[in-house]
Amino acid sequence: MRLFAWLRRRFFPQDDWREEMEAHLEMRKAWNRDCGMPDVLADTEARKKFGNQTRALESVRDVYWARWIDEGLQDLRHTLRDWRRHPNLFLTILATLMLGIGAATAIFSLVDPLLFRPLPYPHGERLVSLGYTGPIDTSEFLLGGSYLTWRDEQQVLSAFTAMRPAGECDVNLNRPVRVPCGLVEWNFLRTFEIFPAAGRDFLKAEDSPGAPLTAILSHRFAETAGDRGIVGSVVEVDGSKARVVGILPSTFVMPQLGEVDVLLPAQLNEAAMRAPNATMFLRAFGRLKPGVNVRAAREAMTPVFRKTLQDFPRSLRSEAGFVLRSLRDRQIEEAKAASWLLMLAVLFLLAMSSVNVINLLLARSEARREEFAMRLALGAGYWRLLRQSFTESVLYGSLGAALGMAFAIFLLRSLSAMAAGGFLRLEAARVDGRVMMFAVAISLLCALTVGSIPTLHLLRPELLRTWTHATARRSRLRQMLLSLQIAFSLLLLSGSLLFMRSLLNLESSKPGFAPENLIAVTVNVTHARYSQPAKLAAFHNELERRLSLLLPARLFAVADSLPPSGRTHGRPLANMFVDGSHEPLKNGGMVAFRYVTPGYFKTMKIPVLSGTVFSEEQRVGKESAVVLSDALARRIFGRESPLGRRIEVGSGWLNVIGVVGDVKNSGLEKPSDPEYYRLRMRDGIQLGYTATAVFRTTMSAVAIDRWAKKQVAAIDPTVPLQVVALPERLRSLNDRPRFLALIMTTLALAAVLLAAVGLYGVVSFLAASRKRELGLRAALGASRKNLIAVIEKDVLPWVLAGTALGVGGELLTQRYIRSLLFDVSAADVKILALAVALMLLIAVLACWRPAVHASKVDPAITLRVE
Amino acid sequence: MGRRTDTLAGTLELLILKALARTPNHGFGIALHIEGASEGLLTIEEGSLYPALHRMEREKLIRGSWSVTENARRAKLYTLTTAGQKRLEVIEAHWLSTAKGVSKVLRFA
Repeated sequence: MRLFAWLRRRFFPQDDWREEMEAHLEMRKAWNRDCGMPDVLADTEARKKFGNQTRALESVRDVYWARWIDEGLQDLRHTLRDWRRHPNLFLTILATLMLGIGAATAIFSLVDPLLFRPLPYPHGERLVSLGYTGPIDTSEFLLGGSYLTWRDEQQVLSAFTAMRPAGECDVNLNRPVRVPCGLVEWNFLRTFEIFPAAGRDFLKAEDSPGAPLTAILSHRFAETAGDRGIVGSVVEVDGSKARVVGILPSTFVMPQLGEVDVLLPAQLNEAAMRAPNATMFLRAFGRLKPGVNVRAAREAMTPVFRKTLQDFPRSLRSEAGFVLRSLRDRQIEEAKAASWLLMLAVLFLLAMSSVNVINLLLARSEARREEFAMRLALGAGYWRLLRQSFTESVLYGSLGAALGMAFAIFLLRSLSAMAAGGFLRLEAARVDGRVMMFAVAISLLCALTVGSIPTLHLLRPELLRTWTHATARRSRLRQMLLSLQIAFSLLLLSGSLLFMRSLLNLESSKPGFAPENLIAVTVNVTHARYSQPAKLAAFHNELERRLSLLLPARLFAVADSLPPSGRTHGRPLANMFVDGSHEPLKNGGMVAFRYVTPGYFKTMKIPVLSGTVFSEEQRVGKESAVVLSDALARRIFGRESPLGRRIEVGSGWLNVIGVVGDVKNSGLEKPSDPEYYRLRMRDGIQLGYTATAVFRTTMSAVAIDRWAKKQVAAIDPTVPLQVVALPERLRSLNDRPRFLALIMTTLALAAVLLAAVGLYGVVSFLAASRKRELGLRAALGASRKNLIAVIEKDVLPWVLAGTALGVGGELLTQRYIRSLLFDVSAADVKILALAVALMLLIAVLACWRPAVHASKVDPAITLRVE
Repeated sequence: MGRRTDTLAGTLELLILKALARTPNHGFGIALHIEGASEGLLTIEEGSLYPALHRMEREKLIRGSWSVTENARRAKLYTLTTAGQKRLEVIEAHWLSTAKGVSKVLRFA
């Protein structure tokens, strides 16, 4: 705004005009008085003689406007004529801008919701997530007793609330469905400053244990129920009746980004939570008091954390930590590093395309020098010439912005089509007003930088004083820009090679079982329908019997979960005991476990390393056997043989009967947790609500799907099932690394292309500006090879300087990308060397053609020209 | 500026240039000079001087600068530039020959 006022004063000094006219009137009045007129008459006479002052002011303004519009049109005409004369230059510049601006805009639209856009809660920047870290869970959590103490003793939060980790529940609203449910404290929504779109929030009284159940529904869920008068009606939730008191706004998202359809009061029983052995698991969120930042809050809470550490299971206490972080950091977790990396990479690319355009325009302005010098000599002001180039820049900027946005939309569409699961909240990315503003801002910035550097360069007085060619001073500017470009593209190139290497490692990493031809059928039953153990066991046994009919026993198995997912069941190693002793194991960490049928290892092709695996006979009677993974056997027993030893995992002592190979069980990227296997017993005590049958077959997933549906429907037609081919599932787990590698490679290719074009341009220009010298050398007997060497000597040092700069940059930035790589050290010398070699090869190729072209000078012609 | 006031604007421009050729002056001084020199035959609407002055300033025929008059009043003083001098010579000659021609035509009868 201040700039605007300044511009206005500078170009339309209305106050000056008015003052000038007022002075005129005053002088006329004085004159009239001197002629003997009375004051009143002197004034009216003066005004009469002057005429309409407002109209005079307007006419003066018109003079200035007319001039501006006139000159603007002139500039436009100049520019358009110039473009028509050099269509290739014009199109190259536009394509370069489109590439840079489009890529930057697309990436910005990806990372904006994660990094910059305000959270969907009022004053969201004050919201924090806090709790313990420990081997129990990947995100921070709180234990019931600690929560109460923290809540009572904290001084830094203006609101503090908790919820039970979200789960699913059976809801009956017109028809039975299983939906995500959240058990939250009464002040949960209030902490986030969210108000129900209809109805009301929970009351404190409704949150006390034993109070009549109430519920708040999500907008989506309320809509599918389709009933307008839903507030006040009664729904059935896990078999109990709850009164609907409110509907959430449609924009509501849970703080940990999960979906939720039904919120219920947690009705925490404080007395029970304070009991010594209570292990209630909570997620806690708070709102910082004004003036308290995250760091200060963390410091203030640390003593409280230390104090409550005694609530933590003793065996795990040494591994407990404390986290208090902004809700945004909690939400984006590991996507944060990737987001910043992409943003940085794409800004590099934008800088590079700007540099290229600058280089192109520099070459152009070199050719224009004569024209400018002549116009200056004819009386055009510097200002006028600057404005001419300003007009040109703005034209480039607006065309670049428009093309860039179109390109960004195209990029975004193709990205989400290629890897839908490749980026956190990719579905939320779109080119909206905010993103457009970003695009316009960077385009203008880009265009102004790009336009002003060549012009300022051109308007240096010593260049303009003479209009002859002979003074073509070799400026270092373009070579320096060239070095910068090479450095940027080397950085991107080595980065993308690292990501490709990482992706290759991932794709070739062994999951520990053979996923080919494996098809999994997962069945979920509802708690409400199968609450009696006997009924549940009957269902599971019948399911297994029917599904096993298809294939021989060695090709079929049932488990409660399949690798590479894990953490569905896990217990801290410290909660396992060995050989009758109740001394906790010390090594720490989590241990995964699964319940499997005897055929599991054969079907999955998990090798048996020693001992034996389960048999069908062991499935009745008392559970007695356990199978360990290699890693767990070594973790507990070291080099001793585990066979025949006994371990306790919460259900009596079990004999270790065998050791099998390790499988991936924390996703493909993370190192595996140790694992043990228990037998799926026939009596159904440990059978959960989920069963996954796995078939090794060459039949298609569709055929299996059809057949399995029929079998399950024969037992209970209300039970849904999902069928998935394991190879596909494994591939989809690599979506994120593949996405990163894909984008980084695309960016690197674009960068290398830009660098090559830039290099080509610079070499052509240098060769052209030394044409006479080259001709002279040729006339004096220099061979073609000599001439090429002369030209290359001009750029080679700069190429090498750029390479060195790029290597330095790579060494500086590598520690930021290490967390994103799988099994690759970021300082991988081989990859860096490969990147440098590629870059130099491309540089040589880009120089070659223009150098050879220039070396073909005919000395006679060149010399004659001068 | 539109073409329709060409003759008039041209005349006004000539009068202003001529007035400034004698001495640098402000708008009021120019108006006074024209009035006095024409012995009251030419009276201009004084407000219309200013668009003309600003246009001529932008065309670099005259140069304006703020200064203080003898009775301590801030006023914008205009000076003729070299370009203005040249323009004056051209249009003065043109006008004189036009006027001569027109008067000859008027006297012929």
